[in-house]
Amino acid sequence: MGIILTYLIPILASTVSMSTPLIFASVGGAFSVRSGVMALGLESMMMCGAFGAVLGSYYSGSFVVGLLCGMLGGMLIGLFHAVLCVRYKVNQVISGIGLNLLATAITTLLMQIVWGNKGTSEMVDSIDTSIGGPIPIISEQSFNFFVMIAVVVIGWIVLFKTRYGLRLRMVGENPRAASSMGLRVHALKYSGVIICGILAGYGGAFLSLDQLNMFVRDMTAGRGYIAVAINILGRYNPLYIVPCALLFGFCDAVQIYLQGQGVPSQLIQMLPYLATLLVLAFGVRHIQAPAGVGKHEDD
Amino acid sequence: MKKKNDVQRENRLSRLDGAPLSIISLLISIVISAVILAVSGYNPFEAYSAIIAGAFGSLRGIAQTLTQATPLIFTGLAFTLAKKANLINLGVEGQLYMGALGAAIVGTVDLHLPMVIHLPLAILGGLILGALFGALIGFLKVKFGSNEVVAGVMLNTIATLFVSYLLNGPMLAEGSSVAQTERVVESARLPRIFQSYQLTIAIIIAVIACILVRWFINRTTLGYEIRCVGLNPKAAETAGISIGKVLILSMCISGAIAGMAGASHVLGVDRRLIDGFSSGYGFNGIAVSALAAENPVGVIFAGLVFGVLKAGAMELNRSTGIPTEFVDVIQSMVVIFVSAPLLVKGMLHIKNNYSGKKAAKVAKEA
Repeated sequence: MGIILTYLIPILASTVSMSTPLIFASVGGAFSVRSGVMALGLESMMMCGAFGAVLGSYYSGSFVVGLLCGMLGGMLIGLFHAVLCVRYKVNQVISGIGLNLLATAITTLLMQIVWGNKGTSEMVDSIDTSIGGPIPIISEQSFNFFVMIAVVVIGWIVLFKTRYGLRLRMVGENPRAASSMGLRVHALKYSGVIICGILAGYGGAFLSLDQLNMFVRDMTAGRGYIAVAINILGRYNPLYIVPCALLFGFCDAVQIYLQGQGVPSQLIQMLPYLATLLVLAFGVRHIQAPAGVGKHEDD
Repeated sequence: MKKKNDVQRENRLSRLDGAPLSIISLLISIVISAVILAVSGYNPFEAYSAIIAGAFGSLRGIAQTLTQATPLIFTGLAFTLAKKANLINLGVEGQLYMGALGAAIVGTVDLHLPMVIHLPLAILGGLILGALFGALIGFLKVKFGSNEVVAGVMLNTIATLFVSYLLNGPMLAEGSSVAQTERVVESARLPRIFQSYQLTIAIIIAVIACILVRWFINRTTLGYEIRCVGLNPKAAETAGISIGKVLILSMCISGAIAGMAGASHVLGVDRRLIDGFSSGYGFNGIAVSALAAENPVGVIFAGLVFGVLKAGAMELNRSTGIPTEFVDVIQSMVVIFVSAPLLVKGMLHIKNNYSGKKAAKVAKEA
């Protein structure tokens, strides 16, 4: 019992905390993919979310404004991605990668301009109150734990139990048929990708304002791509995404726990990335993306 | 295949592709970056003239430009070759690190061999590790249907961390406070063109590699098969081409070229493997390939253009404090604009029946 209390509970608490941003981003990704737009730009949305959040908190002195700015940052990238993919019919993979490159470069440039330091930002007002209570694993989480649960449940309801969700999925499966039924294909796709941007932006803001209190260069460190893998593994369904994200969060938590235990830290840090690779190799073989991903209604 | 056809069709419709699109995209990106600089309080004209002066102003500047262009040409070529098979090799950065590792393993051991044997061996070490790492992505895609983009990014981090682990532990140079290997022995060093500058004959190897890849893609059976699979895998399969073999081989060759970028850096520029030596050369390769319109020979010129920007930006950073990431902003915008001919046309207000707005309108009415 003592061993469980001292080792397992901190790791599990850390698991929840590490998987929260991944869940936000992956649920966002589900909206994007279900509307027929690949979600490879998640990394840039998270990055701009994390940066926007710190910028907002820095200038306003309040993390609430920071969180809003984080969502705005993610949303802007989402909008840009949607304009490129939907209106200008850019290859979705290239658009996503281009945006990811742009986000890394521009946040570093802006850090130098705003804080005169391209490694880390200044410390800003962040979320430091935990919800407390008797349950050990979640007592150290912030209110974002509830936000995360709400996002998952509402996301699932919206995608699978509402008229909007049905239409969104129809656009993603067969844009041509959706268009001939009179659905506004472009508007629905825009909405899917923008929701994705907002949620991924919030996930990024969680990284910079909840887990830390500053922006660090290359803060997302491939988490956006891990979220893409989680999204696939979770079959683009918010409910299935949660256990998949917890798996990756667990790898991250174990990785952090093992730091300073005598194992070379670089090898430990590989853990979440190796897990993603293994999942990609053995977990996603038979999962089909919506049939209309990458297609346009006038093909 | 569908996507490729779409892109081609749209390029035809808009009559804006290849070199003109690349040049216009580059100009737009430079202008937008100038605006960003101006908004953040720098003088863009001074910045760009500092870049030009830094890159061409002196023999040192020119040597630096060519030194920076060398890995960019290799990584751009690696990305281009994979793209011919319609593969996005986002793992170039990882393959570059593994190539650097391979070259360092062979190059730092004194084998008492003459240079004509030791140097090619060291390069071969880089090529092999890069190729294996590239082939791994191809294998994952063919065998398990993994998304090659995500696999590539994961392998990038794994490779960087693995090299970092080796440099902080087993391969750390004796008495060094920085994570780096011993110096590469004399017989495995790439000869420098000017004694006092870091520029080596690797730039010549890079140019030859581009011409070779062009020949390979256009004139050999495997090159033909790669193009077939890239354009239409179903038709290629019907024609008896083994898609799996072609995909793995193209990732293998792409990885080898990326590995060469790392090897040339270790054996020529730093003459040892230093932790975190790559300033994103692997990702810059994507922009080089985009600017080159995926033409292997175009890669030479695109690599030089970004070499100028990179070398100039280092000078710029010394004189004005504008961070070198400024060049990455230009590069990433080039990637976006080159892939969006309709957007570029819209920005230039080129009117014809298929400008972006009208296409959207037609689509809505349909």
